[in-house]
Parts: sequence; C-alpha cells; structure tokens
Amino acid sequence: MCNYSAKLIAWLDHELPENEASNLEQHVQGCAECRRLAGSYEATSDLFDGYCEAVLASEKPSKMPVWTPVALGAAVTAAVLAILFVFLPAQLEQIPARSPIAASPPAIVHSAEALPVKRSQRRQHALAPIQNPQHNEQTSWPTESAIQVTIPADAMFPPGAIPEGVTFVADINIAADGLPDRLQLQP
Amino acid sequence: MSGNPVPLAMPLPRLAARDCEATTLFREMRKPLLRYLVCLGLSMDEAQDVVQDAFLGLHRHLSGGGSKENIRGWLFRVAHNRARNHQNSYDRRFGASLDPEFDSLLDEATPERAVLEKEKFRQMGKAIRALTDCERECLLLRTEGLRYREIGEVLEIPTSTVGDTVDRAVKKLAEKCNV
Repeated sequence: MCNYSAKLIAWLDHELPENEASNLEQHVQGCAECRRLAGSYEATSDLFDGYCEAVLASEKPSKMPVWTPVALGAAVTAAVLAILFVFLPAQLEQIPARSPIAASPPAIVHSAEALPVKRSQRRQHALAPIQNPQHNEQTSWPTESAIQVTIPADAMFPPGAIPEGVTFVADINIAADGLPDRLQLQP
Repeated sequence: MSGNPVPLAMPLPRLAARDCEATTLFREMRKPLLRYLVCLGLSMDEAQDVVQDAFLGLHRHLSGGGSKENIRGWLFRVAHNRARNHQNSYDRRFGASLDPEFDSLLDEATPERAVLEKEKFRQMGKAIRALTDCERECLLLRTEGLRYREIGEVLEIPTSTVGDTVDRAVKKLAEKCNV
C-alpha cells in the first residue's frame, strides 16, 4: 500500500498543514491507488452522512418543541392577556393587537430547517465556527413595547397607596425561566 | 385615586432582543444538534429536550458575559454531556436497527434504487455497530462539520487522537460497506 494513503482522510478533511496538503495533492494526481482510495473514503463518508440524515428523518417527535425565546415571550404575553381578560375584564381599557412576538413564534420555530449535510461544504469549511452571532433583521424584534395595557390602579394597589392623579409605567423584565426578574416603576 | 388608569408597559421585546443571538443560532444549529443526538441513540423527544436545555444554557452563558468563541463547539459539548444523562436511550445505540419507518423512507425512491439504498444502508448500519463509541462519536461530529480540534474539545480527547480515530473509523466502514 502506498505510504501516502495513511493521510488521505485527513487530507480530504482539510486537516493537513498547507505544505503537506499540497504535496499529497500532487501525489494523488499521479497515484491511481490513492485516487481510488480517496474516492472510496469520500463515498463512504457520503453514505454515512446519508445514513445519519435518514436516521433523523425516521425519528418522529411525539410532542412539539417547547422552547424558543420567542415562544417564551409569546407564552408570557398570552398569560398576561389571559389574566387581563379573565380577571380584569371590566377594568381593561385597551389591548392593542397581538404583538409581533406573540404573532411570530410558529414561523420562527418551524423555519428552523435543514443545514444540508454536504461533505464538500464541510471540507471547504463552509460550516465555519460561529464566532460572533449577528442580529438577523428577519428575526429581530422591534425595540418598542410589544404590548401596552392600561390597568386601573385600584386593581393593582390597595386603596390610597397611589396619590390621586399620579401615573407611572411599570417596566417588567422576564427571565428565561418565565419569571419576572426585575420590576421598575417610572413616573 | 381609585379608578384612575395606570399605564402598564411590558417591553417583552427587551427579553427577545437579548435572546436574538441565541435564536439565530437556534435556527442554524437545531437540526445538526438533533441529528447528532438522535444518531447517538436518543429519541427525538429526548433530543429536543437536550437541545432546548443546551440553548437555555447558551442563553445564560451569553447573558452572563460568557465567551462567544466557538459557540458551535460549545453547543455540541453541552449537548453531548447532557445526552450522557439519557444513558438508557444512549444505550439504544446508533445503527442498532432499521425500523419500518426507516424502510418506508426508502420506499419513496424508485424500486431499483430503493433496493440498492436499503442494501447500502443495511451494510452501513451493520458496519456502524462494529465501531467503538469513540469512533462513532468522532464520525458523527465530523459529519456535522466540526474540525478535528473541535471534536477533540467536545469529546475531551487530543486532536491527534481524533485524527487517528476518524481515519480508522472511515477505513473500517469503507471495508465493510465495500465502497
């Protein structure tokens, strides 16, 4: 067996130093055995990739995905709206249309589709390490409030707790676990 | 002041904006992670749970000012370690069987092609069962596009060992599948 054949797979995976890869490439062009082996390893890898894809396709989930930041936001929004509708129907003055967050989660979740498994892509480093994730315009959310509701003060505070004529904005941050982690009142 | 309205603004997008990076990554990485976990032997439900846990962990990691270096490797490492907790399923093992659903997938091809594909996949399944755990994991991570160095970080083995393991595993498969 050709001495170079031991490094064929690392070469196919672009894992050899540049000068070594260059030497091996030259050698493969003139060595029928190495060309045959390289083709065999490439085909084997492709078959393995296809097998993995088929295994994934044959697995059916028995329940829907339950997590995504968007779904979390939608769930929180839905919960807030439900509380408002159920417990405060008479005192609710206005509720705008559903927020972009509440309207969008299914599209975001189910558009999370295939990164195709292509060996040639991998060898060309098309799937380079993700170093600095950037905001995607299509998946960004507006910075303004998703929803603004008006609640009578006496529905939230004991009588007399808020001076007459005073209004304020409550800014609530929701943690990843769905619980409020910060409440800030602004006049 | 009873009856006076109090505007209550709930800026949920602030939560979403903070999670936007994780969501973009989620869209890109969800399927590769699921494929890796399912091929390790987890059920789809278990794999989805692990992926969700991994992304929640990533959210905390990024929110806490954690490094953004090689997040793909970070996600695979976390998912791999959490998959170990599903040891029962993990023992089901990749390539353990070709179930009817797998067959029906191939039935969508032309009859001749389906027969060939089935035979190839049967040989591949058999060959995969003969691999060691480390060989199988190295090949799966390689299939998802990880470099040898990244695979080494996920499996906590030296890069040189990854190279040797991948080399050995591909040669075993090529020999047993007659490719």
